[in-house]
Amino acid sequence: MSDSGPTSAQRLTLAGLADILVAEGLGMPAASAVGVADRLLDRCLDAAPALAGPLMALLDEAPADGLAAFARRLAASRPDDFAVLSTTVVGAYYLSADVRELIGYPGQQPSPMSVAAEPEYVEMLERVYDRHPGYRECP
Amino acid sequence: MMRQQRQSDVVIVGSGASGAVAAARLAAAGVEVVCLEQGDWTGPADYLSDRPEAELAWVERWNPDPNIRRGPADYPLTGEPDVSPVMYNGVGGGLVQWAAMWQPLLASDFRVRTLDGVADDWPIGWSDLAEPYVQVARDMSVSGLGGDPALPELDTYPNPPIPIGKIGMAAARGMDRLGWHWWPGANAIASRRHGSLQACQRRGTCMVGCPENAKATPSLTHWPSALAAGARLVSGARVAQVPLDERGRARGVVYLDRDGNEHLQQAQVVILAANAVGTARLLLLSESPRFPDGLANSSGLVGRRLMQHPYRTVTAVCEDSLDSWQGPWGQSIYSLEFAETHPDRDFVRGAKWMVMPHGGPMFAVAEYQEAHRHEGFDAVWGPAFHRAAAEVFGHAFTWGIQAEDLPEDDNRVVLDPEVCDSSGLPAARVEYRVSENTRRMLDFNVARAVEAAEAAGAVSTLVRGVWPTGIGHVLGTTRMGDDPRHSVVDRWCRAHDVANLYVIDGGVFVTGGSANPTATIMANALRVADRLIGARASQVVPS
Repeated sequence: MSDSGPTSAQRLTLAGLADILVAEGLGMPAASAVGVADRLLDRCLDAAPALAGPLMALLDEAPADGLAAFARRLAASRPDDFAVLSTTVVGAYYLSADVRELIGYPGQQPSPMSVAAEPEYVEMLERVYDRHPGYRECP
Repeated sequence: MMRQQRQSDVVIVGSGASGAVAAARLAAAGVEVVCLEQGDWTGPADYLSDRPEAELAWVERWNPDPNIRRGPADYPLTGEPDVSPVMYNGVGGGLVQWAAMWQPLLASDFRVRTLDGVADDWPIGWSDLAEPYVQVARDMSVSGLGGDPALPELDTYPNPPIPIGKIGMAAARGMDRLGWHWWPGANAIASRRHGSLQACQRRGTCMVGCPENAKATPSLTHWPSALAAGARLVSGARVAQVPLDERGRARGVVYLDRDGNEHLQQAQVVILAANAVGTARLLLLSESPRFPDGLANSSGLVGRRLMQHPYRTVTAVCEDSLDSWQGPWGQSIYSLEFAETHPDRDFVRGAKWMVMPHGGPMFAVAEYQEAHRHEGFDAVWGPAFHRAAAEVFGHAFTWGIQAEDLPEDDNRVVLDPEVCDSSGLPAARVEYRVSENTRRMLDFNVARAVEAAEAAGAVSTLVRGVWPTGIGHVLGTTRMGDDPRHSVVDRWCRAHDVANLYVIDGGVFVTGGSANPTATIMANALRVADRLIGARASQVVPS
């Protein structure tokens, strides 16, 4: 992310928009409650810096008293702009350790495997072999 | 002023699947090889795959679409095709980002004209690739199980298959109930330490870079040995033209370095391995008075007959926990049940299916939203946003369905008349429409995949239409054949029109089959390299 990251005002606007997209519900917190407009935004833009410019332009454009209508308008008629907003919000939201714990997601962690044991699908695979007519012969 | 580089025996354009195979084989045989690659080296230090931000890597830096990624080595793809090609430009080419699914063609794929009365037969057959298939599988440390009755017999793969996981077991039970074909997936991912690869840790971040070096990619599997044998790989070298001498033979290639300096790399033999889009573009860029429509294009087929395996998905949402974020993101199992022509269907040829995980929550939510978007904003955003994670995340597997799209002259790569890359070279314009045969094929297969999902116990399914971005399979734009009027290269992949010019990437495919093409691309490149070595040993000089 560049040194000129989102301003406080832009973050405030993003918090409002983020809660319209990811509201509290089904036992899950709203986006702003986990820091989507704060530290998680910075991590998201560090990973995908090309989002920053278009996002900040959108936040400057968003009317303070009409965020819900603005979000719906983007979704309906400006898909590329809406993708910038929604990717940022969803990407930042799922960086939250609290959110990950709530949905039971350990992250893309290493999970060593063993290939020594006999697979449990062996009987099913034998049936595939038995019923298959064989590959199509060619001249 | 053009800088003259010392002549080599062979210059290869592109360091990916086919270029790396040829370079390693030729260098090992004592051939002096220079390979030019417009991109750069990448490795685990460049990836985000072992960080929580792994999914965000897809948004930009590791997006497979060069028009989104916009890396310094990428060139624009213009046009409004039904399916936009994806590719990676760097050492290893598309195999930096591939899912590593390893699938030989069917025997029938080489004879579709004879068997089904459509398209054309290949000038070679399955038996011509049988040995190379085995060799490249070994070089790529493939993990898989031999004996699939849908394929001709192959030697066993060098590594046992990766466990198919809960997603594979769920899908396999569904196929078992229906009596349909399935088989554990073969992947160029090491299930145990093998060759230059470490054992897979099942992170599931294969397509944004494997941090463990468990996924085969030429920078690990081929380039170390090629360089040790004396091959020279020049990165940051964008090839602009294949110039001819007065006899009509390729002099070598002209390339631009990172600073825009022009070089002539002379060579006795020129091998193009820049993928079916890049190679066609280069040939079209290399027009001359002798070849006003593009080099080696007397047939008019350079750039035409582009095939891409149009792709749809059916995600099965189950009640049981399936740990669906767990990798690898190769193929857990696959099915060839509907890969062959059947007289009762309203289309010819068929599709291959493969089971994959859904990745992390961003991807799972995106899958759900794509399927429910038509229900409106409130169905996927606001309080409803969390339904996606609650219903899908960790409880789903995806049947990916890739269709055999038959070659059509109007599906093609041309030069864009206006847009250029960062070097001022015309961009590749892609014209591609999904045919009616392909659409019927996909509709049929999607309907069957929904049945398979339900047989696997799915409580709901998420069905997506034809993906607008491709899956990295670009084929057919420089097809091989025995008749120079109807093909660009001969059965040994030598250009009919230019005696010392070869094409060895997926452009030479006559038809695409439904299999993931990398195994065949690499096997064919090895076959051609061995032919060149044999010709050199017997001092047969192409006339």
